[in-house]
Amino acid sequence: MGHEPVIVVDNGGSSCKIGLAGQSEPYRMFPNAIGRAKGERQSFVGDQLLSYRDASSLVLKRPFDRGYLVNWDVEKAVWWRAFKSLLQMQPQDCGLLMTEPPFNLPSIQAATLQMVFEEYGFRSFAAMPAQPLSLRAWAAERADLPAAAAGVGVVVDAGFSFTHAVPLCDGRVLWPAVRRINLGGKALTNYLKELVSYRSINMMEETYLVEHIKDTVCFVSPDLKADLASARAGAHRLEYVLPDGVNEQLGHVRQPQPRERGKTSAADKAGREQVLMLNNERFMVPEVLFQPSDIGLQQAGLAQTIMDAVEAAHPDLHPLLYSNVLCTGGSAKCPGFRDRLYKELRPLVPGDIEVGVHMPSDPVLAAWKGASEFGVSPEYSQQAITKAHYDEVGYERLLNISPEAVKNAGPVYYTTSG
Amino acid sequence: MLNSDPGRRSVRARKFSKGISTVSLAERENARNARLDALEDDGATGEGIVGDSDEEFVIQDSDEELELGVSAAKKRGEKKKGPKRKTRAMLEAERRGPITFASLLEMAGDADGGPAKEAEVMYTNAAVGPPQHSAARKWCSVCGFAAPYKCVRCGSRFCTRKCYAVHTETRCLKFVG
Repeated sequence: MGHEPVIVVDNGGSSCKIGLAGQSEPYRMFPNAIGRAKGERQSFVGDQLLSYRDASSLVLKRPFDRGYLVNWDVEKAVWWRAFKSLLQMQPQDCGLLMTEPPFNLPSIQAATLQMVFEEYGFRSFAAMPAQPLSLRAWAAERADLPAAAAGVGVVVDAGFSFTHAVPLCDGRVLWPAVRRINLGGKALTNYLKELVSYRSINMMEETYLVEHIKDTVCFVSPDLKADLASARAGAHRLEYVLPDGVNEQLGHVRQPQPRERGKTSAADKAGREQVLMLNNERFMVPEVLFQPSDIGLQQAGLAQTIMDAVEAAHPDLHPLLYSNVLCTGGSAKCPGFRDRLYKELRPLVPGDIEVGVHMPSDPVLAAWKGASEFGVSPEYSQQAITKAHYDEVGYERLLNISPEAVKNAGPVYYTTSG
Repeated sequence: MLNSDPGRRSVRARKFSKGISTVSLAERENARNARLDALEDDGATGEGIVGDSDEEFVIQDSDEELELGVSAAKKRGEKKKGPKRKTRAMLEAERRGPITFASLLEMAGDADGGPAKEAEVMYTNAAVGPPQHSAARKWCSVCGFAAPYKCVRCGSRFCTRKCYAVHTETRCLKFVG
């Protein structure tokens, strides 16, 4: 052990990042889902979705529910394709390092262990939460930050299914201090979908497309009051030309064109384009992360979540934790996210404590990069479970769970074997 | 919800107000939770595929198919000659429906202790509490700008008479949002 290649999978709710340990970039990043166009039988697995030409009415089936891996039917298909067709590796010759969400349930871990060793037959396996791995990659990127070098910081993981604030000390997660908002990129996409469907064109069945629109047009407002005022004046108005299915597949943004009341413009008549009008949706959607009560979720916003997490840690750590707040995850890529978070967090933190909100070069790949580094370090061999060990003691002993608890894991696995 | 003290209103007013149905706070709460659930939906099982069974999504577990890089469903389409036989396990899984995280969490919570219970308690405690530093903001349910008014019937917010008109026409008491 220790010399076999290790496959590193950052298994996210939205996208799956896959590659070999020791490399600086993942080999591939693709939707962690199986997709199918409405009314058609053919489905597309994982990376096939990237090259799929028709984004309209694409329905995705995802293996994750509320951020946890529950549907192995889907995940199995995605993984087989990724390991064999993309990486061209035989699991029997490799180790596997994957990320898992915080507070993963033992029943889910049991199903994962069974899958990894019995279905794929990996030689060794380790599951790590993504957040310490992100911090690890960040420490490598910014060695000049004392807190990062010491492995102390708060990782804000604004993911697809939920958002976590995870305080770490010495590279280890302070579990009782971890805080979560039950809101992520998926809810934001669905919220935008709901808004535009009500105000403009019905897009309720175009989740895939709306996600793309969200990534293209949304931004975090630095000053909500001012932006609302300018939105009323039309400063943020944007038109999104929906794909026609012939010339383009994802549509494009264009500046609003002035038109006379009651008359359709020449371009409209010629092209018969369907245009989605966007105005305050552009920043009111990401705004929900900073104040979830906007959509009726009785939870605090991001800044207070971070504060709650830090306050739950030892007071001596507070200055170091606040000095190294690291934003990761797909939702953090929204323009203006970092600045707004700093602006909201600063007034909550005592004045003599320095606040540093940082963003790695790629917030989505941070966890994978850290995992890649971890996969070749000796720590991996120390932490990994080998197949021989698994075969000997089984997952009940490894996870220290009772046979009754294992029954919970049963359905997850056994439905997959048919 | 309407009137807890009938003595305070005339008969005529009561008759009139019967026609206007209002929605109780509990119902509003339910609607809000249903909407939050809808925001977590992938659309794969809901209205996304109407009248389709879920089983078409199940990829047959055959390594060769995936090795060739051919979509499993396409492959299946070609060999779809005889009726597809369902095993007992498949029928059982169908009866049970898809596994959700909520059900797994509940099962973990039912455990008498050990790692499952521990994980459930940790998961529940990690959810951040209600906001302490700011009051809930009020946005118009129609246009999204600041909304000083509330619909008397369903409690949705609106900002102007124009938006109120749109609201009564489209969403009032329907709880789309």
